[in-house]
Amino acid sequence: MGLTIDVLAKKTGARVLVRGRARSTEINDFHASDRMSDLLGRVSDTTMLITPLLTVSVVRLIELMDVPGVCLVNNAEPGQVLLDTAQEHRTTLLVSPFDMEETCRRFRAALGLDT
Amino acid sequence: MRTKKAVKTFSYPITGGDYENGGNASKNIKELLKKIGVDPHIVRRTMIAAYEAEMNVVIHAYRGAIDVAASAELLDVIVSDEGPGIPDIELAMRDGYSTAPQAARELGFGAGMGLAHIKKNSDRFSLQSKVGEGTRLRFSIFLTPEVSDAAAANSVGINESLCRKCLRCLHACPTGAMRVRQGQPEILPHLCVDCTACAEACESNALFADGLREIPVPQKKTVLVLPGSFLEQFGASTSPGQVLGILADMGFRQIRLIDEWENGLRSAVLRYAREEASIRPVLSPMCPAVVNLIRMRFPSLLPNVAPFLTPIEMAREDLTAPHAVFLAICPAHLTVLHRKNAMTKIEIVHPATLREAVLRRIVAPAREVRRNVAAHPFQDVVEVGGMRHVMKVLDAVENGLAGNFSVIEMAACYQGCFGAPVWTEDPSISRPRYEWERESHLLLLKKEAEVVRRVDDLEPRTGLRLDPDIGRAIEKLSEIDALTKQLPGRDCGVCGSPTCTALAEDVVLGRAKIEACVYRNDEKFK
Repeated sequence: MGLTIDVLAKKTGARVLVRGRARSTEINDFHASDRMSDLLGRVSDTTMLITPLLTVSVVRLIELMDVPGVCLVNNAEPGQVLLDTAQEHRTTLLVSPFDMEETCRRFRAALGLDT
Repeated sequence: MRTKKAVKTFSYPITGGDYENGGNASKNIKELLKKIGVDPHIVRRTMIAAYEAEMNVVIHAYRGAIDVAASAELLDVIVSDEGPGIPDIELAMRDGYSTAPQAARELGFGAGMGLAHIKKNSDRFSLQSKVGEGTRLRFSIFLTPEVSDAAAANSVGINESLCRKCLRCLHACPTGAMRVRQGQPEILPHLCVDCTACAEACESNALFADGLREIPVPQKKTVLVLPGSFLEQFGASTSPGQVLGILADMGFRQIRLIDEWENGLRSAVLRYAREEASIRPVLSPMCPAVVNLIRMRFPSLLPNVAPFLTPIEMAREDLTAPHAVFLAICPAHLTVLHRKNAMTKIEIVHPATLREAVLRRIVAPAREVRRNVAAHPFQDVVEVGGMRHVMKVLDAVENGLAGNFSVIEMAACYQGCFGAPVWTEDPSISRPRYEWERESHLLLLKKEAEVVRRVDDLEPRTGLRLDPDIGRAIEKLSEIDALTKQLPGRDCGVCGSPTCTALAEDVVLGRAKIEACVYRNDEKFK
């Protein structure tokens, strides 16, 4: 049983930067990486991607893969291009105030993946 | 009536080091796929392959291009670059191996998964690279789930009206794939390896490899691809050079001989045998029918097969021209050429059709002075031709009795493609004649094409398996043994199966009835 992105954001302490399909999309799992190949290989309609990357690569990830949601970490401030791309492709963009490890721990707990 | 296939093509340049625009070509592909309504799951797979390939050029090369062709069934993508090339493709394909610079790693690239990702997300994948020159990567993705390469498993055609029920094919087939039921020949596709043994044995030409009976009109960029053996089908008084001239007059300005890929393969296999191979003898993948045979009957020899595509597969991979006319002389070639291709419209012409067209144009036969026979360039290569000999040699190799050869090159037909049943000239004469003149007419053509290394391991074919369940297969084997003992053991073929054991197997597998054996109850045959 997944969670809508809105609920997931609330439970993990993440902030919604771009709403995208946040209300209608249910997330079942997540994948975290700082490597593009990893992220590309894990895209699905129900997977949230967590990454410390803030580069043009993330823009491409959103443009090419129809990612439902991306969560940035460490209170990162994305550039306007990334925000616009997420808006255009209806990808929900979150930002977590925590580092990647703590963000993952919170997502695991919220999605009931601890066991 | 052949309908014109709709194909959309475009080309997009890629600039090495331009991370800002890396991905733009992939975006164009995505737009194209969305416009033609491709399933989102397939679009995602395509994007992974395309983006990884595009970024490889950005990260590693000076410049490159992505060429795309999409038909209703298939997306063909070629990504080529000018760059340092890949010294060790096998190593580069390994997960985690990367030579990406720091700048790329900082952007999230350089995980060493790119090539493996492209291969995993595509339905066909090939990679060629030359150190100091560049890399050419080609991948294809089926755009509808129901399309696959498996559709064209084999290509032996049967003209039932010509069959005389002589049963020769039944005994000639090396894999026991032929049957004659209710007076009609039948091929068990899971056992057929696409060799020419049945067609060779058939004197009424009921078994054949089909092709167009009219010659396609050459267009500006049409490439005609021929086996060298075609050039020697016009008697001793007509030289290969004359035949090439006639074909040019017919409008075929670009002609490539399969010999280019065969010669490339010979050199590559020899290098492989000397520098890389740990198992001897190395078996050269020259003939696709022999490769099929090894996969089915001699799977223990698969590690001996050199890791390259067969020449006909390489030819198919290599071509990017919008239109190619192939002269396919055997079912194994046909099967390879029947695989879907969006980049090039492939038309396959029947050898007899082209031969007749050339014959009509020969006006003044005059063969040039022949050169002496050149020594075989590769003394380490042992050549074997004809399925009967191929079977014996593979048996010997499997049992360690083949001797100390480093490379064995096998062809289903006697004298290689010169012995294809479709030809009229005897191969014992046409092949040496061709070899004598090779140097003179090959001056007109590229001598040795770049080889394509096989990136997938060859898998055994499961044609001989009696049942997917091992326990049930063992039971069936016992039933076959018991039933075989009830049969006379004459292997006459009258029942329509090639041997008594084959009939027993057909009965157990529900393909025939035991009553088909007319001698079963005859005491004098017991």
